[in-house]
Amino acid sequence: MSKAALADGLCHALSTSRLRAASSWRNPGIASLNRQWNLPIHHARALQADAPQANDEPFRKQLKDEARRKRQAVRSTVKDGTFRSSVGKEKDARLAKWTLTVGLEIHAQLNTEQKLFSTAKSSENGEPNTNVSVFDLAFPGSQPELQKATLIPALRAALGLSCKINRESRFDRKHYYYQDQPAGYQITQYYKPFAIDGRVTLYDHDGIAIEDGHSVDIAIKQVQLEQDTAKTNLQPPSTAFLDFNRVGHPLIEIITHPQIHHVQTASACVRKIQAILQAVNALTTGMEHGGLRADVNVSVSPQGSENLGQRTEIKNLSSFKAVEDAIVAERARQIAVLEAGGVIAGETRGWTLSSTETRKLRGKEGEVDYRYMPDPDIPPLFISEDLVNHLGTSLPVLPDSTLADLTTNSGLTYKDAKTLLSLDDGERLDYFDEVRFSCTSKRVSSHEPWPALDKMVGNWVLHELGGHFNAASTPFTPSRVPAESMVDILASLHQNRITGTTAKRLLAMVFDGDKRAIDIIIRDEKLNLDRLSREEYILMARNLILENRDKVHQIQQKRQMGKFKWFVGEMMKQGKGNVEASKAEAILKELLGLD
Amino acid sequence: MFEKPSWSVKSLFESDKSSAAMPAITQKQLHHLLRLSALPLPASEVQEAKMIKDLKSQLKFVQAIQQVDTEDVEPLQSIRDETKEAEMENEITVRTLQKDIDKEEVVGRRGRIRRRTDVPAAATDKRMKDWDPLAQAPKKLGRLFVVDTAKD
Repeated sequence: MSKAALADGLCHALSTSRLRAASSWRNPGIASLNRQWNLPIHHARALQADAPQANDEPFRKQLKDEARRKRQAVRSTVKDGTFRSSVGKEKDARLAKWTLTVGLEIHAQLNTEQKLFSTAKSSENGEPNTNVSVFDLAFPGSQPELQKATLIPALRAALGLSCKINRESRFDRKHYYYQDQPAGYQITQYYKPFAIDGRVTLYDHDGIAIEDGHSVDIAIKQVQLEQDTAKTNLQPPSTAFLDFNRVGHPLIEIITHPQIHHVQTASACVRKIQAILQAVNALTTGMEHGGLRADVNVSVSPQGSENLGQRTEIKNLSSFKAVEDAIVAERARQIAVLEAGGVIAGETRGWTLSSTETRKLRGKEGEVDYRYMPDPDIPPLFISEDLVNHLGTSLPVLPDSTLADLTTNSGLTYKDAKTLLSLDDGERLDYFDEVRFSCTSKRVSSHEPWPALDKMVGNWVLHELGGHFNAASTPFTPSRVPAESMVDILASLHQNRITGTTAKRLLAMVFDGDKRAIDIIIRDEKLNLDRLSREEYILMARNLILENRDKVHQIQQKRQMGKFKWFVGEMMKQGKGNVEASKAEAILKELLGLD
Repeated sequence: MFEKPSWSVKSLFESDKSSAAMPAITQKQLHHLLRLSALPLPASEVQEAKMIKDLKSQLKFVQAIQQVDTEDVEPLQSIRDETKEAEMENEITVRTLQKDIDKEEVVGRRGRIRRRTDVPAAATDKRMKDWDPLAQAPKKLGRLFVVDTAKD
């Protein structure tokens, strides 16, 4: 029998069988195949790659660390009701006798045009010592002039952290001598800060320690306004080169209550606070670029003890990893001292990236007495309720809400949602929203559940489009592939007018500068999907099966699924762009008797 | 009647209580205070003894001041207008910051705020236009101040 005759026979047989089988959709095999046939075509899973992002190294590291810890947690065993990780059993036994307590003091540079008490520009770009006023250099007789616009990002930050805003707050002087502080004191808000009693909630997806469960609330004691110091470049042995551009730049200091008890939770807290500040446009830049620094207070106390131990302060940690490593090192040091019968001295310690132990910066001998006093030159600050209300109601959506929306309503994974949130200063997320909204409003598919569509948009905006920008090493702009073009490509794909491979090709063409409308490109380049019928799929599949009996054997008997993928690939090759991967898979599964 | 003064501040420096009531000031304390104030340590024993004596009488003065009953009195931080009217005049409202709020725009569909790109940056303060911060620097390198931190 010729192939054509076979095909005809199949066609006839299948069409009659289809008529007969109208009532047999209840037959699970055929029904599932039918369902599969109607699913939107996602681009081949095998080709979906996780595009590495150029400048979110720390975030990718966080995701990797989380994945590793989850794997370790799975490996741990429950014995006598206590968790024991299979890694470092001895170390854990020792640590289990002590409770760690950590408090954070985070300094964040506010996003303002001018400094806190002078009209000098707050920009750090440009020539050294150009954005400096007489007051910044503490010339005798110079007076502070509060730049009220500073309150806008400051209040937004405090509101983002759910703080209560004090109507009246005051400024104090904190005295100490250092070459980066011309006045000999820093203006801060020690006695009466402008915001108090806030909180930040950390969830397991924020990367908190497994021991902290699903979520943990960290209370924030206060948020206060203060000045930044100059940039010092130390040349050994004792020369310092000073750039005063940064002196007087507004900072907020966020002080948490000592409620953190696990190392990963501490770094997760810093990360979360940074994310919130970025979302409300309060930060100039992130920790990676020096816009945010953390001081950490660490103490240990015997397990079960009511009182906290003596704390030490580790200053100027400038990365999330440094926060974790410094706490681990300091905890180990304190436990070693206490177990040897010693006593912890309340001192300030420092940490450098390649260290294994914190080192003492200032001890009791040189202990600094800051001699806090109210600054008599600065009148009290009065913040009106209408300003607080205005900024509160117009506050941008916070990361937790966006994350919930993206994962629940748009069906993205936590990983993808967080990536989307953190890329390109929010521009990637805006682009995603535009494309998604257009897809929805264009009624691309009126009977399709939205989550499926959003997931596709998410994949394409994050991985496909992201991959192009990465390969080209250029920063993301929403105009390179206009939202409309992206919508057209995805619509065509979704309506099965083109295959996944073609869609990717179209994206590449538009990215590289093709300005034609998508429909025109499809028509001119003849990229339309010639829909193969089910019969043609079956024919192709059967031929392949007949010609490769040994591979079939390996799949059916030995479950070597790699060979199965080979069949799919072969069909796609033979189909020359007209074979859809998911349909090929479905047919092959049916014919090979796989589930 | 006003020919002879009836009272002098000097009286507050004189002890009317026995000096045993006051703890001695140690050399360590004196040096600590001098370091905090970035003042040079005494050059000789005589000078140090004089410093401690002066400090003691100043502390007697402080003690006399501390005799005043300040129960329920808020400390004065500065002499300024503390009336309600002054407070309302100085409070920061939406109107106070309207110009700066107008320099921002909302983008995207989630209320994201950023500074508008079409608004020019704030003008440089006229008072600083012709002033070079480095003009008074005793030592500089290019546009950087140079400080010898060993000279403490």
